[in-house]
Amino acid sequence: MALDYRKCAEEIVANIGGAGNVVSAAHCATRLRLVIADNAKVNKAVLENIDGVKGMFESNGQLQLIIGTGTVNKVYDEFLAVTGLTAASKADVKAAAAAKDPLWRRILKVPGDVFVPILPAIVASGLMMGLVEAIPKFWPAFGQSDWFSFLDLVANTAFALLPVLVAISSARVFGGNIFLGAVIGLMMVHPALINAWTVGNYAAGEIPTWHLFFFNVQQVGYQGHVIPVILAVLLMSTVEKWLHKKVPEMIDLFVTPLCTVLITAFITFTIIGPIFSLLENWVLAGAKWLASSLPGAVVMGAIYPWTVVMGLHHMYNVIEAGMIAQTGLNTWMPIASAANFAQFGACLAVALKVRNQKTKSVALPASLSASLGITEPAIFGINFRFMKPFLCGMAGGAVGSLFGALFGLGAPVYGVTGIPAIPAVNNVPLYLVELLISAGVAALLTWFIWKEDAPAAAAAPAEAAKAEVKAPEAKIEVPTNTVISCSAGEIKAPVAGKVIPYTEIPDQTFAAGVLGEGVGIWPEAEVVVAPYDGEISSVAESKHAIGITGAEDMELLIHIGVDTVAMNGDGFEVLVAEGDQVKAGQPLVKFSKEKIKAAGHPDVVVTLLTNSDDYENVTIHQ
Amino acid sequence: MTEFKYLIQDPIGIHARPAGLLAKLAKSFEGTTVYLTKGGNTVKASQLMKLMGLGVKAGDEVTIGCEGGDEAAAAAALEQFFKENL
Repeated sequence: MALDYRKCAEEIVANIGGAGNVVSAAHCATRLRLVIADNAKVNKAVLENIDGVKGMFESNGQLQLIIGTGTVNKVYDEFLAVTGLTAASKADVKAAAAAKDPLWRRILKVPGDVFVPILPAIVASGLMMGLVEAIPKFWPAFGQSDWFSFLDLVANTAFALLPVLVAISSARVFGGNIFLGAVIGLMMVHPALINAWTVGNYAAGEIPTWHLFFFNVQQVGYQGHVIPVILAVLLMSTVEKWLHKKVPEMIDLFVTPLCTVLITAFITFTIIGPIFSLLENWVLAGAKWLASSLPGAVVMGAIYPWTVVMGLHHMYNVIEAGMIAQTGLNTWMPIASAANFAQFGACLAVALKVRNQKTKSVALPASLSASLGITEPAIFGINFRFMKPFLCGMAGGAVGSLFGALFGLGAPVYGVTGIPAIPAVNNVPLYLVELLISAGVAALLTWFIWKEDAPAAAAAPAEAAKAEVKAPEAKIEVPTNTVISCSAGEIKAPVAGKVIPYTEIPDQTFAAGVLGEGVGIWPEAEVVVAPYDGEISSVAESKHAIGITGAEDMELLIHIGVDTVAMNGDGFEVLVAEGDQVKAGQPLVKFSKEKIKAAGHPDVVVTLLTNSDDYENVTIHQ
Repeated sequence: MTEFKYLIQDPIGIHARPAGLLAKLAKSFEGTTVYLTKGGNTVKASQLMKLMGLGVKAGDEVTIGCEGGDEAAAAAALEQFFKENL
């Protein structure tokens, strides 16, 4: 059945403390990203089980709900309609979350933020390039055809002019004008500049150079570069915003854009460009070094999924592009493929092993998506949540990377991993073996190491229940009055209220003392606390009664209400389990006086020393 | 050890009132220890808390065992009790 987007959105809103508790909302390819004002109002246990929500986690000050590709945008639209919020750009959400985020992390996340929106362009081009360039390998004549020429042009457009896409996306991230951002990007790949891909054909002295003040600027474009473009647009956005504030409104419209572009262009070509082209080369050299050495590849294959978790993996497009620019072969791809395919394997193993239908229904499509190189659903929806599959995936990635590096696998394209990369790789059979090894190791390890944590599902609500009472816990007034005393010690009241002797409890059995002597308390609070240090000796299945053994084997029965066994647990919340050691004053059971009344029962808390016969001087204190 | 089985009829099962009565009865046999078993868990019937912790409900079959003293008399009294109350 198709997901009811409206219902899903409404349930989400209901469990995050209502529309008023949402600071801002945005979504990415798979996740609904929310900034919540008061996290205490978020009902995580329920959120995770909403139909349509495949998982949930908190990261970077955001509450992120995994909903899925193609669905998240529809749920998001309904979410906006339900909450009455206006669409927040991801930048808004990021900004709202920024206060909670350390600077280094914000910096590390920028390339990811920039790349995520342009992923469709890169993925489409990457897949097409893989296919288009693979065909002539099997059918050389095709390489000479007009169709190849045409398709190759279509396929490589996004890559040839990548700085334009990066600049536009960056302008959105940094809050600059996206058209000015486009101008900066276009300028950096202007046809009048020497193409960065072909600059190698020029001898050093032949490259035309501008002499601007004391700068000597080589007239070379920034094709294939990413970081300098991002920085240029960051500068542009900063200058633009500053000018907007300073320039009188009358002349703002022409002065600000003009000065923004001029200043940015000058600083970009004279300072940013040269410095960061250099730095980028160093970074790429480092990554290439890691990727080219066997131990480096193994390390990279293992830690790769962590960088996905941190949103850093989109930055690797830079590394891959750099590799292709320098050597024509992307040897990073086999490492990323091993890491991603290992996550696929781990996720698939979970899908096959798990009994929980909800988990299974997430794990299957998530693993499929991972096999195509989009691992976020598998990692965030399954593997990272259960952690062990994630770690098994790391092991698979390391082994697969080792294999890939041993056999010098690579591809002349970037932006794809897993199955879509098959047409592009330099050795298809070996690549298939690598994928098989990565996924196989991860799947087998997961199969044997990971166990479906049956109580995990039950533990989550229990934890939520504990969390729920945490707040009132502080406010609970622990009664200090003694209600029963005997030769074994004193028993405090388990709940505040009017104390009556057991003979006045409105129930024949209790009043007759069949279950021992004690008191009844007409409760003024709704939490029963331990009357002494002891061990929980029994918890009634219907949650309305609890036994606690104390010093000298005192067996106290705390029975909330009369005939409340008929309520079958409705209105009661037990906070401890049989066998638990408890301290005097510790909350044991939460109950609802209203529900007990509604069910037609007296709400007297029957507190009886069931083995009162064993002690002397049993006295009741009112 | 004298044993008998009983299928619980009372919809509420062995809860507070019947448990209290049963525990009281179980304690009353001089020299006889009364055990109650449900689904592999055995408790002393004289221990009210353990008895209630079993969560015996209608439709459950329990086994009552008497050991020591006048087992037959205790078992007979208990059987009578179960029929009347549970």
